[in-house]
Amino acid sequence: MRFLILILCFLLAGLAPVSAAEKALANPRNITFPPLAYQIPKAERIMLECGMPVYLLRDSELPIINISALVRVGTVYDPAGRSGLAGMVGSVMRSGGAGGLSPEKMDDELEFMASSVESSIGSDMGTVSLTTLTKNFSRTLKIFSDVLLRPDFSAARIEIARKQSIEGLRRQNDDPKEIAGREIGKAIYAGHPLGVVPSYASVSAIQRQELLDFHGRFFRTDNIILAVSGDFNREVLLKELNATFGPARKVEALRLPEIPQPARNVTAEVIYAKKDVNQTVIRMGHPGLSKDDPELYAVRVLDYILGGSFTSRLTTEIRTNQGLAYNVGSHFDIGRRFTGSFVAETETKAESTVKAIKLMSGIIAGMTKEPVSDSELNAAREYIVNSFMFGFANPASIVTQRARLEYYGYAADYLERYRDNIAKVSAADVLNAARKYLHPDAFKMVLVGNAEKFDAPVASLGSVRELDLKLDIPK
Amino acid sequence: MKRIVMAVMLMMLSVSGLQAATLEEKVVEHTMKNGMKLLLVERHTSPTVSAWIRFRVGSVDEKSDERGIAHLLEHMLFKGTTTIGTKDYASEKPLLVQIEQTGQQLIAEKAKRDKADAVQLDTLQKKLTALESEASKFVIKDEFFELYSKNGGTGYNAFTSRDGTTYLISLPANKLELWAAIEADRLQNAVLREFYSERSVVMEERRRSYDADPDSKLWETFLASSFLAHPYGQPTIGWMSDIEGLTRTKAEQFFHNYYAPNNAIVAIVGDIDTAATIKLVERYFGDMKPGKTLAPVTAEEPKQAGERRIELVAEAEPTIVMGFHKPAIATADDYVFDVITMILGSGRTSRFHKKMVIEKQLATDVGVFDAPGSRYPNLFLVSATPRTPHTVSEVEASILAELELLKTQPVTERDLQRILNKMEYEEARRMGTNGGLARNLTEYEAVTGSWRYMTEQRGKIAKVTPADIQRVARDYFTRENRTVGFITKKGGDK
Repeated sequence: MRFLILILCFLLAGLAPVSAAEKALANPRNITFPPLAYQIPKAERIMLECGMPVYLLRDSELPIINISALVRVGTVYDPAGRSGLAGMVGSVMRSGGAGGLSPEKMDDELEFMASSVESSIGSDMGTVSLTTLTKNFSRTLKIFSDVLLRPDFSAARIEIARKQSIEGLRRQNDDPKEIAGREIGKAIYAGHPLGVVPSYASVSAIQRQELLDFHGRFFRTDNIILAVSGDFNREVLLKELNATFGPARKVEALRLPEIPQPARNVTAEVIYAKKDVNQTVIRMGHPGLSKDDPELYAVRVLDYILGGSFTSRLTTEIRTNQGLAYNVGSHFDIGRRFTGSFVAETETKAESTVKAIKLMSGIIAGMTKEPVSDSELNAAREYIVNSFMFGFANPASIVTQRARLEYYGYAADYLERYRDNIAKVSAADVLNAARKYLHPDAFKMVLVGNAEKFDAPVASLGSVRELDLKLDIPK
Repeated sequence: MKRIVMAVMLMMLSVSGLQAATLEEKVVEHTMKNGMKLLLVERHTSPTVSAWIRFRVGSVDEKSDERGIAHLLEHMLFKGTTTIGTKDYASEKPLLVQIEQTGQQLIAEKAKRDKADAVQLDTLQKKLTALESEASKFVIKDEFFELYSKNGGTGYNAFTSRDGTTYLISLPANKLELWAAIEADRLQNAVLREFYSERSVVMEERRRSYDADPDSKLWETFLASSFLAHPYGQPTIGWMSDIEGLTRTKAEQFFHNYYAPNNAIVAIVGDIDTAATIKLVERYFGDMKPGKTLAPVTAEEPKQAGERRIELVAEAEPTIVMGFHKPAIATADDYVFDVITMILGSGRTSRFHKKMVIEKQLATDVGVFDAPGSRYPNLFLVSATPRTPHTVSEVEASILAELELLKTQPVTERDLQRILNKMEYEEARRMGTNGGLARNLTEYEAVTGSWRYMTEQRGKIAKVTPADIQRVARDYFTRENRTVGFITKKGGDK
């Protein structure tokens, strides 16, 4: 309450005539601000009759309703030899008709209402989303639920999706950045489903029945969390959702295949692909950590200092001081269900390739040698704490965030304690985390470019495996 | 007090539940005495605010020896001022003068190409590096970023286009004064330090975004070939040799010529109090003197009198882009092009998607858009990714067949209604984020003269008739007015 009064006073002062004191302009370095207490908006959690959890947040600023359905599924469940199956399920659920409504009719009806229903499956989560003007909600909800639970998988649309993915594979080596991004992922997760990418053979082998089976196995009301936001009437909405998803059914308990965790240790390797271009794409990294590792908060701070901001060590040295790159940085992708990864990246002209790699490796190794400075530590903690509210800037992101936390099994008070946990991170914590999670000696390193123009031989970086970019895909 | 606040909130909820406020009702306009234009929108969804400043100057305004300067200057304006980004400007300044002299000597020597003196080049390069290293002792690296960032600022960035240059940031709502303090200082006291190393960064940006990416390289070549006279054909980033010739002196001249309050449009959207925000901006920017009024580009693209075909041989699968010259934004025919763009290219019910992706499966995707700017006459564009074994020629023939159909068969009422429904939805949706709304307000205010373009466009489009579409298709989709660009795979089949 006192905060509110303070803010009101500030606003009132703003309306008063300009006085001499007010005319004084603040110095950006030591400017002070009226206080702002920020609490994360709460979403309501409700259980539908069928047992599906729903997060709700009403906001009537715009006459729009958004829904996201989070489904426990993922490309990691692609069977052996069928890489691409989950991705195709995710795409054809929407494009292949549903609930007896043909693909053409569904497209026409949705687009005439300016409503959108989309579906996709990522590595460890499936998403079906709905966006609609409030006035078209009921009809769009029906189509959404059919796409989610009753897709028809039109054989003709499966063939189109298959041909499209094959065309994508045919083009997978056109852009050097795409090659490097794919190859670093394959190298870091070699031997694990996360390291497998679709091939011409796997995509060609997929049968329609396999799509139906895969969908049936995972897309069931006891394996979905909903997030609903926007301009709805709560009672009407709940009635509609219950009518749509029905009562609880007695079904065989859900059994998901066990997927092992990827290996955390890898050995160093230089992977080189030749492209006749004037700039080399560089990616280097190894497995990282998961959300349940106790060093999570220290790693967030480390990430910002090392390569996650415009004033990070990597950006300051490689870009600002040396002018060697436009894009340079590093990132710990925090694993949710599986161990995450650390990847550092840049692109630099062929003639400075090895120089940039050595500088980057040295900067990364430096994190494991000395504690970060107080000013680095403070800047990182302050940014993460003070910008926290931007994760919740609209109702859709608030409910989706809550649903994601439940989906991945975060502690109930994870968000509420997040800022305090960041604020507690010390320079020693960052050093410990760096020593545990950064291993430049074990980097998988991908280089895509023209080694003839490099400033030193690729072999000077370690043992080299050259990739053959020639694809064996029939016309 | 608490009860009153709650009562007020309940009232607001019930009122807004009946009728969401329109953009027209939400935007507050304020023009300052020095010409700076403010567009303000209160949104109290979260305690955040987005502030965008758009300058009505882009790469289209560059002279031939300045190509790339609008964009490089945008980079340079992150480097600080006489007080920010430096430990001691008085000591730093003489070094900056020497760096500029040496930089210019180096450029002059390099410009001799084969006849350049290798020893002289080496000496000058070493001298430049030594001076830069000396000057860097006074630099506080990226202090603007650091100040915004520790205060929770996100999305601190800028972008340069043909039409304009925009600087943006989102902040916790109680920290808007930091934005005013930094941006007012930047506009009046910018110091373009670290110029030549930043120029190298831009060269890397060019290699990354154009040279090494076949699709972008085709795009750049295609645009340059589409405009013989009008500067819309020049790449915003500049050709490599353009960037090599840019100096800090040129960047400073460009800055002083164009970055004046009367060329600036500011949008502030979020959890603000409108009256207090106007006072805040007046306090920081109100004393600045207006600059020259920007003269429009006088070059006019001569009427194209025959098809142009542009081939790029690359280590990549084929793609195709087709363009037709058309009038600028917010002209009568441009609204007809809006309708055509949506009929042909918007969504899964669009004609190109239905015909080429689903029915004939000639392509995996087809896009329709206009570019490369909109202040001046631009291009209507179709791009497509052919699906093997289908060729660029087959895809091209299919695109042309659909364009022909527009000339002969009137579009249906349902097609037109679907477009209006889509626009109704988009009008609502685009009010949903602070940054998105600030972007649209500054963009449309700059290129059409008023942000009200956003509220008036649907009404104009509602008046477009099937006959208008046939006429525009016949007038513009001609062989003479067409440019076709495509990638041929290196070493591939003929």
